[in-house]
Amino acid sequence: MSERIQQRNHEREQRLAHVWGNLPGWGALAAVNHTTVGLRFIATGLVFFLVGGLLAMLIRTQLALPEQDIIESALYNQLFTMHGTVMMFLFAIPVLEGLAMYLIPKMIGTRDLVFPRLSALGYFCYLFGGLIVLSSLVLEVAPDAGWFMYTPLSSATYSPGPGSDFWLLGITFVEISAISAGVELVVSILRTRANGMSLNRMPIFCWYILAMALMIVFGFPPLILGSVLLELERAAGFVFFATAGGGDPLLWQHLFWLFGHPEVYIIFLPAAGIVSTLIPVFARHPLVGYRWIVLSIITMGFISFGLWVHHMFTVGIPHLAQAFFSVASMLVAIPTGIQIFAWLATLWYGKVVFRLPMLWILGFLVVFVCGGLTGVMLALAPFNWQVHDTHFVVAHMHYVLVGGMLFPLVAGLYYWLPHVSGRMPSDSLGRWGFWLFFGGFNLTFLLMHLTGLLGMPRRIYTYEAGLGWEWLNLVSSIGGFIMAIGVAVVIVDIVLHFRFGQRAEQNPWGADTLEWAIPMPVNTYNFSSLPEISTRHPMWNAPELVESIAAGEHGLADVQALRRDIYGSDATTGKVREVVHLPTNSWLPLMTALALAVLCISLLVKAYLLAVVFTVMALVLSLRWSWENGAHPRAAPTDDNEPGAPPLHSRTCNGPGLWGMVVSLMADGTFFVSLLFGWFYLWTAAPEWTLPDHSPIQLVPMIFSGLLLTAAVGVFWVLVRGLRRRRATHLGPGMWLVAALGAGHWALLAGQLMSAPLAPTERAHDAVLTVILFYLLLHSGLAVIFTLLQAVRVRLGYTAARLPYEPIVIQPFWFYTLGVYWLSLLAFLLLPNAWSVG
Amino acid sequence: MKFSPFHPIHLVLGLVIWAAWFVFLYGGLSVGCAIAPPASEEQAGTWINGAIVAIALLVGGYLLWCAYRCMHASSDPKLQKDDRLKVFISKTAAAVYLVSAFASLALAVPGLVLPPCV
Amino acid sequence: MAGLGIPVLLSGCGGELSVLAPAGPNAQASAWLWWGMFGWFTAVLVVVVALWLFALKRTPGNAPDAHIRKGQSRWIIWGGLVLPVSTIAVVLAFGLPAGQGMLPQEAADAKVLKIEVTAHQWWWEVNYPDSDISLKNEVHIPAGKPVDLHLTSADVIHSFWVPRLGGKLDAIPGHTNILRLHADEAGTYRGQCAEFCGREHAHMAFTVTAHDASGYQQWTEQEGRDE
Ligand code: HEM
Ligand SMILES: [Cu+2]
Ligand SMILES: [Cu+2]
Repeated sequence: MSERIQQRNHEREQRLAHVWGNLPGWGALAAVNHTTVGLRFIATGLVFFLVGGLLAMLIRTQLALPEQDIIESALYNQLFTMHGTVMMFLFAIPVLEGLAMYLIPKMIGTRDLVFPRLSALGYFCYLFGGLIVLSSLVLEVAPDAGWFMYTPLSSATYSPGPGSDFWLLGITFVEISAISAGVELVVSILRTRANGMSLNRMPIFCWYILAMALMIVFGFPPLILGSVLLELERAAGFVFFATAGGGDPLLWQHLFWLFGHPEVYIIFLPAAGIVSTLIPVFARHPLVGYRWIVLSIITMGFISFGLWVHHMFTVGIPHLAQAFFSVASMLVAIPTGIQIFAWLATLWYGKVVFRLPMLWILGFLVVFVCGGLTGVMLALAPFNWQVHDTHFVVAHMHYVLVGGMLFPLVAGLYYWLPHVSGRMPSDSLGRWGFWLFFGGFNLTFLLMHLTGLLGMPRRIYTYEAGLGWEWLNLVSSIGGFIMAIGVAVVIVDIVLHFRFGQRAEQNPWGADTLEWAIPMPVNTYNFSSLPEISTRHPMWNAPELVESIAAGEHGLADVQALRRDIYGSDATTGKVREVVHLPTNSWLPLMTALALAVLCISLLVKAYLLAVVFTVMALVLSLRWSWENGAHPRAAPTDDNEPGAPPLHSRTCNGPGLWGMVVSLMADGTFFVSLLFGWFYLWTAAPEWTLPDHSPIQLVPMIFSGLLLTAAVGVFWVLVRGLRRRRATHLGPGMWLVAALGAGHWALLAGQLMSAPLAPTERAHDAVLTVILFYLLLHSGLAVIFTLLQAVRVRLGYTAARLPYEPIVIQPFWFYTLGVYWLSLLAFLLLPNAWSVG
Repeated sequence: MKFSPFHPIHLVLGLVIWAAWFVFLYGGLSVGCAIAPPASEEQAGTWINGAIVAIALLVGGYLLWCAYRCMHASSDPKLQKDDRLKVFISKTAAAVYLVSAFASLALAVPGLVLPPCV
Repeated sequence: MAGLGIPVLLSGCGGELSVLAPAGPNAQASAWLWWGMFGWFTAVLVVVVALWLFALKRTPGNAPDAHIRKGQSRWIIWGGLVLPVSTIAVVLAFGLPAGQGMLPQEAADAKVLKIEVTAHQWWWEVNYPDSDISLKNEVHIPAGKPVDLHLTSADVIHSFWVPRLGGKLDAIPGHTNILRLHADEAGTYRGQCAEFCGREHAHMAFTVTAHDASGYQQWTEQEGRDE
């Protein structure tokens, strides 16, 4: 009897495995599954870490003794630039993203992220972008202007080689992956939690990742904008950062640090999330002050956007303005303090089981608190004026980055290893690794504070004897090598564990979160049935979930119509709202990423015709991708909702697609606002800014074009309002009309761009106008294409009264396009005109 | 406050206001110093400093009031018993407003002692 | 950080580029800020780490729930709020006025000596607009009173830094920043470019020579004659 049940259960799980599995052999490249993609991110990131570490060892070798010439200055500059770049962009962020992608669906009790193909695209963009950046090192033309690429040093005049281009194009490419992961994580956490997992029952890690993902969405666009502008300046001679013609090198610094500071917290938050997850488990006590910590996370997320000028205290900004940023920078100490003491209290009231991951958590505490304290010092402008750009900063930065990211990361890797491998890490070798690393780290960087105070600037390839720096540098270098041995031991330990580790039992650490309800080693569909959650600590308060989930006693236990189904739920209460059917394995992400990679390379070698071809190709591929979505029979191969079950998301009006669109538009909006900021910044602060007497753009056609756009959006709005009421009269012709109006608008705008006497290579004013015109054209062009596709889909029956999903997703894009159009008209045309007249 | 005090938007609204105030503060200072720079012997007694402190008090006061509203809403005993989610949201929101009020006021503190444009 | 103290004491704070061997009021103020923060923050670090280690070892008693809850909030409020807020307040109370004192105050002392410094890849051009003197990689100033350096750059961004006399300030193309320096006594002080500026950044050093009143007079006359 029970054997029959088991048999049936087994068959059910095989069906799940079949539908959710990756393709065999080379087909693995078409995988979109979050477990696979997340692990790929982590593994690739760790390889980049080794590369970055190798570069660091070369740096330390050169600095070990005074006046060495093992490495000459040109190469040294490439080494530290690449070390910083690799560590920040190719290691820290991607690894943490990968960890989040791996864990989030498991922690919130679902089977995959909401946009699986986007995960895969993100991975390939990251991989190809990273390889492009690294290849510059092999070709001996690596960027050499420091990881923050200050202009004018990175400009075509002072860095004529392709190094800066590698950086600007490659890193932008990698950032596509960060933003897509950001969007995806936000929507997944908000819209696909297990039934009943209301906000207050969400594992604390999810709050951290939610904040991190939103910060990526708002933090990366300024850098992307900066990179685009700088590349335009380098490749096409547009004026943005050169003083002559009305640019300003400080604009680059603002754009860079508007990204750069939040980035540090984007790295720290997930790592702190690991700490907040592990400490309660090993303390056998729920996290003290859950609500306090949520408060700290939210506060950190915001305040860290108000700190960027503390990297610019020596550029000559008025002292009062510096003081605002000093205050804001120090305010961050408060949420940090809250977390530190919440962790302390958790340990205080718990009964601690001291296992290997805890050792790394302890290392984190010591190192990170030290780095945080020197951070408060650096936030004080008059002290900062002394130590800025010295080795004191190098020491501080490694204390926060290694302490605040690497230590928790290793703790997390050890902790979740059994989840992936089904085996436990060894305790003894691991301890050796820790102590070597911890000792080596402090030996390298603790004394480096003093090196800085004794006046050693950063980024110098050699130094004289007799300044008191010799023994300090020698000790730092020795420490560096000890640290490297530590890394090697940890790697050996982890590799060996896959072979010799003890088999792990279910939930080996006694954790409280849902990922440990999954059988180990992990499978492709996570949960054999999707549980309902009624507590913040499901594995502590309801350990029977392990069996009941496996027995298929919860939701979506069986496969329907060969679809990959998960639940979509309410953002606040976590109540189930719909069944989200996810796309399956696809080659499109790989192909799109390849097209983008070729685009990137052709820009590098300045083969612009090729670049145009591959831009079009990438566009076509992504449209092809969007084609098999929503109600397309390949995506949802049944005619209608199953009776009694929640509706299929493609039949609803407020699905994850809409959320994804809105979050993406937030990133897009940040890009636009950064451009606005750049415009006003240059206008008010650039030393040689000039407004022309007459705007090169004619107002009347622009207004007329805007009216056409408004009409298009108006008609679209009426159509969507009908759809929301499940009415689709004139839907098809309506779509054609919208597309026609939009095309008219686009043509007029394009005409303006072609005919206007813009001189972007002579005047920053014209350069900004050119960029904004292209931006507007891109948006209305895309909106028209989307609408045309909708018109076709109406005819094919993929969009209809009972299938209102897609136009509702597109609607915010039209609204956005309309909004930025009129706003641009106001800010870039009317305001300067009024100014010149007045 | 148009939203109900239990709407999750309150979890971020306070800090959004803080951010807007910060942008206004930093941007306004640059513009103020460009258009009507006060004489430097006035030290910290200029119209710009006055405006900074006054607006900070306004923003801080408004945020404190919001914090009070959320706190008040969360203390309903019936709610305490059967809707932990609403209590969670409104209490956390109250704390966020409180933090935002504090941060908004703290930003203006240098305005009490430093002259604006040097 | 605790470990940092010992080598600092052992090695002394000397060194020609040492921030910890101030030779002017601005550098002196920065050094005081450092020692103050260093002392207090070291204490904080040691206490926090000690508490953590103790928390790891401690066996929790069987206190009643309400008691525990109160204890938990107490940790967060005292450690997470009161400690950082009071620390910040003290740091700012000392730091803001100190910073203000280092800046040039136009109106108060209009007769401060003005020197123009233009940074180049990779050398410093120094001009005395009042006396037509031009120098390369060396600055001469009178000791005992402030001078203002008007910094700009002819190519990329550099940063002018004489650690024993005060903080650094960037030389940025298209901008002029004013750095106030003040040497207490006559002597030669080393300076160094502190913003990465390309291949020879490591070698972009210079000297500042402070003369006593008569020595400075003499130097100006002699240089003026050489021109
Ligand atoms: C593995 C041990 C590491 C060692 C020995 C090391 C060593 C160094 C050294 C000596 C520098 C200064 C280069 C110079 O200014 O001349 C440096 C810069 C830097 N390091 Fe590391 N580092 C390590 C790990 C990391 C990690 C894990 C990160 C980030 C997550 C990181 C991020 C940076 C950054 C951003 C810079 C600045 C690069 C620049 O100035 O452009 N480092 N590192
Ligand atoms: Cu920062
Ligand atoms: Cu330099």
